[in-house]
Amino acid sequence: MCNARYLLLLCLLAGITGLSDAARAAHNESCLGCHGEKAIVNRGGSRLYLDPARFAGTSHAVIGCNSCHAKVAASHPADGIRPSRASCRDCHAPVQQEYGNSLHADKADCVDCHNPHAARNHATVSGRDINEQCAKCHEHGQIVGSHAKWLPQTSLHLDALPCITCHTGSQNYYITMYITIKGNDSPTGDFRLATHEELARIAPGRQFVALLDSNGDGKISLQELRKFNKGAADMRLWGMMMPEVMTHSFQILDNRWDCTFCHSSGPKAMQTSYLAIPEKDGRYNRLTVEKGAILDLLYGTPDFYMMGATRSHTLSVIGLMIIGGGLLMPIGHGTLRFLTRKNRKEH
Amino acid sequence: MSQQEQIYLTPMPVRIWHWLNAFGIVTLCITGAQIRFPEFVNLFGTYKAAIRLHNTAGVVVSISFGLWLFYYLFIARTLAKIYIPSLDDLKEGLFRQGVYYFFAYFFGYPNPHEATPDNKFNPLQKAAYLMIMLVLLPLVIASGILLMNVDPLRGWIILLGGLKLLVGSHFLIACMFCAFLFTHIYLATLGHTPFAHFKPMWTGWEKVEHSGEQK
Repeated sequence: MCNARYLLLLCLLAGITGLSDAARAAHNESCLGCHGEKAIVNRGGSRLYLDPARFAGTSHAVIGCNSCHAKVAASHPADGIRPSRASCRDCHAPVQQEYGNSLHADKADCVDCHNPHAARNHATVSGRDINEQCAKCHEHGQIVGSHAKWLPQTSLHLDALPCITCHTGSQNYYITMYITIKGNDSPTGDFRLATHEELARIAPGRQFVALLDSNGDGKISLQELRKFNKGAADMRLWGMMMPEVMTHSFQILDNRWDCTFCHSSGPKAMQTSYLAIPEKDGRYNRLTVEKGAILDLLYGTPDFYMMGATRSHTLSVIGLMIIGGGLLMPIGHGTLRFLTRKNRKEH
Repeated sequence: MSQQEQIYLTPMPVRIWHWLNAFGIVTLCITGAQIRFPEFVNLFGTYKAAIRLHNTAGVVVSISFGLWLFYYLFIARTLAKIYIPSLDDLKEGLFRQGVYYFFAYFFGYPNPHEATPDNKFNPLQKAAYLMIMLVLLPLVIASGILLMNVDPLRGWIILLGGLKLLVGSHFLIACMFCAFLFTHIYLATLGHTPFAHFKPMWTGWEKVEHSGEQK
């Protein structure tokens, strides 16, 4: 719903500016001719530089530089006039209103968290990218310390959750899996999030996508997931619990103190998952994973287990059968014992 | 004509270990049920309380297992004698004891095994306890330690096949303990009175009946 609204807004803006895609691209190129070169930092500071690759992946690139910087004279930069700059509110008024009512509003402005020249849709960033924004102000050690007062296995939780999953208003979540790669040669070596370049080295070009999506249909079936998990020795999938809806109502939600909010959400809540493939421009391309794959007994997601919520039904049945087997002795033997009690009295 | 004799069968360190272990395992089974099935089981208030109690009971059982091993290996030095089935136990004892439990018992025949401090367990008990104490308990403790420290020990967990394999193994072994608990408690009631085997585990002393023929 939210995404559809922004898409409409983007189309409107694109229409208002009256530029064709080609004209907009040419205009962006013209700006990036100077602002996409690192040398500009020497002429006016780092604020003047923007990474062209990262900018290309933003929705702001789609609407074009002049949508926000409308008054750039033909004599720029020789005229020495600083170009005009749009306010975030001009396009994102509902978001800003929501943010304005949150606990966070007095602490940071939009641009403190979102660089407009690198801002991406939440579906195209990793949970760790999101947490890096928070870590600009919230020091990691301090966050671990404050959560450790009440949250068991704090580091594990913080590693598998973007802060906003608990601290914004999304009522539901889904699991996104990211490819991690072994960081060293030790048999118990650390795995870290793989970059596009690292994956491209393992399988040149975009061939690494075929390691996961072997039939190339743009979806990941449970069978493909199993094949990857069984075969890729130095790669693993790391699951993160992402918020279903992106809100800016930063808050401390009461129900997040209660572990059962997530842990007793049950297997029914664990049906939706995605696999995120890193792209060259730093974005993630999200592929849909077969429903319920997260609950697969062993090979679907071998490293993702959320106590209670992702339990395997099959394993639970086997376990209950084992316990039932233990009851056979008291029930079966006990019954025969009762029926034959006279025999023992005689002896 | 039968004669009764009192023998000191279970020394105090073993009794302390046994009851620590027993209460620990019962606690682990119940809290474990809440941890795995939080929608259906809620006996300890909050989920976190169940996890904390589960972890605490796990540590108690682990320490108690360490003390048990230390006692039998270095103080009593009878671990092999008491817990490992002899060749005779494997060849005939297991079958003989099985026939007793599943056939002869119902006709009132006496138990072919008489407990002594050096030969406390019948061949079936030896086989079962060996499996429980030296295979399943170390496995459930090791998997529990890994599960209590997923982040710092992640490399080891991956090396062992992943978190799901570990959780699955921990759960299935726990179910085996639960099944064992039912069987163990029931079999303990098969003495000459239903509580005859419970008392020595509390006092240390067991009444042993010797029949005239057997003597």
